[in-house]
Amino acid sequence: MAKWGMVIDLEKCVGCQACTVACGMENTRLPGEHWQDVIFFKEGSYPNAQLKWFPRPCMHCENPSCVAVCPTQATYKNDEGQVLVDWERCIGCKYCMIACPYGVRFYTDEKPRYGGPDVKDVYQSDDAHSWNPPWKAPQEDWKHGVGVQPHDVVSKCTFCHHRTSTAPKGTVDLDPQNPVTRDHTPACVVTCAPGARFFGDLDAPESQVNRLIAEKNGVRLLDHLGNKPQVYYLTGEGGSVPADRAVKPKV
Amino acid sequence: MNVKQEPKTFGEVFALLAGLWRDNGALGFLRLAITLGKTPTPAGRWWAASVFVAAASALFVLYQLATVGHKAFNTSSDGVNWGMAISSYVYFALMSSGLTMVASLGTVFGFKQFLPIAKRCIFLAIITLIAAFSILALEIGHPFRMLWSMPTGLQIHSPMFWMGVFYSIDLVLLFIKFYLLWQDKWDTWLSHAVGIAGFVAVILASGMLGLVFGSMVMRPMWFGPFTSIYYMLTAALCGAAAIVVTTYMAYGFDSKRMPAGLRAMATGHDMPMVFATLIGLTLVMFVTRFWVGLWTNQDGMEGFKVLAKTPLFHIELWVGLVLPFLMMLRRPANTRMRYQIVAAFLVLGAMFINRYEFIIGGQLVPMFKGLWVNSLEPYVPSITEWSLSIMGFAMVLAMYAFGDKLFDLSAAPDEVEDLAAKTQLEAA
Repeated sequence: MAKWGMVIDLEKCVGCQACTVACGMENTRLPGEHWQDVIFFKEGSYPNAQLKWFPRPCMHCENPSCVAVCPTQATYKNDEGQVLVDWERCIGCKYCMIACPYGVRFYTDEKPRYGGPDVKDVYQSDDAHSWNPPWKAPQEDWKHGVGVQPHDVVSKCTFCHHRTSTAPKGTVDLDPQNPVTRDHTPACVVTCAPGARFFGDLDAPESQVNRLIAEKNGVRLLDHLGNKPQVYYLTGEGGSVPADRAVKPKV
Repeated sequence: MNVKQEPKTFGEVFALLAGLWRDNGALGFLRLAITLGKTPTPAGRWWAASVFVAAASALFVLYQLATVGHKAFNTSSDGVNWGMAISSYVYFALMSSGLTMVASLGTVFGFKQFLPIAKRCIFLAIITLIAAFSILALEIGHPFRMLWSMPTGLQIHSPMFWMGVFYSIDLVLLFIKFYLLWQDKWDTWLSHAVGIAGFVAVILASGMLGLVFGSMVMRPMWFGPFTSIYYMLTAALCGAAAIVVTTYMAYGFDSKRMPAGLRAMATGHDMPMVFATLIGLTLVMFVTRFWVGLWTNQDGMEGFKVLAKTPLFHIELWVGLVLPFLMMLRRPANTRMRYQIVAAFLVLGAMFINRYEFIIGGQLVPMFKGLWVNSLEPYVPSITEWSLSIMGFAMVLAMYAFGDKLFDLSAAPDEVEDLAAKTQLEAA
């Protein structure tokens, strides 16, 4: 059984947000409900200020604190290392959102993040779904947090579970360049124009992700918290991983 | 002295209600129910207003949840996930724990002078816990799903799971203990055993509620074992303040109307000292917590600097804790009814602010956000969230008025009354 992981090369990432858009389309997300996001932040101050950006999916941690706190085991880690939410068990207590150090979880019933009309009201659902988008991706699997979610649950990136779960057994690299594996590769990886994202089996020593982590000193976000993300960042000379919260709040 | 005739069995309760129905007719019975009897107790004066407010606020919240859903709350995935509803839940849950701790002074630890408030404490602990659970049920997305998914999920790593387990055990034990006290079983083996088990359950429950927050290493303003201790001790303070207010309320804020044992306790030395000690302990912990928070440069602790700048912080510290502490230190002021009531009200207000500040403050620093979150998270409770908190207070008042009418909440073993009479005789 593979343990899926992602490598993001920050030297290649151009901050175009194509991954964010692809994720939103693939997973039918609400505006602002960015399972995958590129965070823009600044480092230093004038005259040495730099604008930086940082792509941030769910880390699908090896020791996920969100899984440990979920009182109903609605959030769980599957055999392939993906952290998923069973929307039929989720009670909407939001403890997982409190416990996630990376801020990658979203509650369905909130005021719209970008102001303006609430699309959930504009495209109202007449069944158990929280909304009825005019276009949506065909897949739906509430046991794995895939598709348009019901009311009052927490949603998150699934590492495109609906794509990876159908990958041919024994595959170690889900490479978007390879016609055999392309359809089983997460949408953000497929769409990444500069090819900054890599996806594969962290348990297979020969996988491309493991080679990249070894060759370019892959690091993990907020490693001191002990969650052990399965997303690694390659910093090289041109990129950097924020040591802590992306931007210091003004007090 | 106000001596009450209390029905002693469920049969008697039903017979009483049926008799009232028969004698007054359906409409008359309804009128009696609304006015809570022909001769309402002093606490019963709050009845009609509190029932109205509880019903109105609950209906408003339910209407909002039915039409708008949980987006009627001002919470957000980007910042404050747990809003005022959770802080109100914590307030009432810990008040309940504190009341059980105060009751345990008499029933578990053998300080007989506290027995006259034990039954009232247990009753209040039940109703505050019901209020807390009601608020929580309206806050979470799928409260009924919780009933099957928590027992079948059995996530033993989750502090919230254990919080649920311990508070459920606590509620059951409180019901049993109240039943036993209702039956005047103060000194039986079972009563002692339930009392001890209840005390253990309440320490575990309040401590575990603290660990719901204290286990969160990614939330530095909450993280650490201190949170658990802080919750237990401030719970005791909340319970002490609540019992002072409600006991006086039951006698129309007039200590002369109290039974001898109760009056001896209220105007004696012990209750003010317990109260002052608990305020003092809370003050020490409060200052320690803020000292570390303001001193440290650790990422994520910036919220303390913000909190210290708010007027609420200073009202809580100076008006809600320091002032009552001074009032309860000085003799003979601390034995005077008026001082005790003012101090207790101030503490209850301060603790409400404290829970709000703790829960909201701990989430002010955004987790991992970019330039669009360039400051601390803004959060102001919505009208629905305010209604939920008001509903909690009104529910407690209404259930208290009802309980005070139905039960003799000042009941104590005869020996305590004898002891008090003897003490007063000696003093005279």
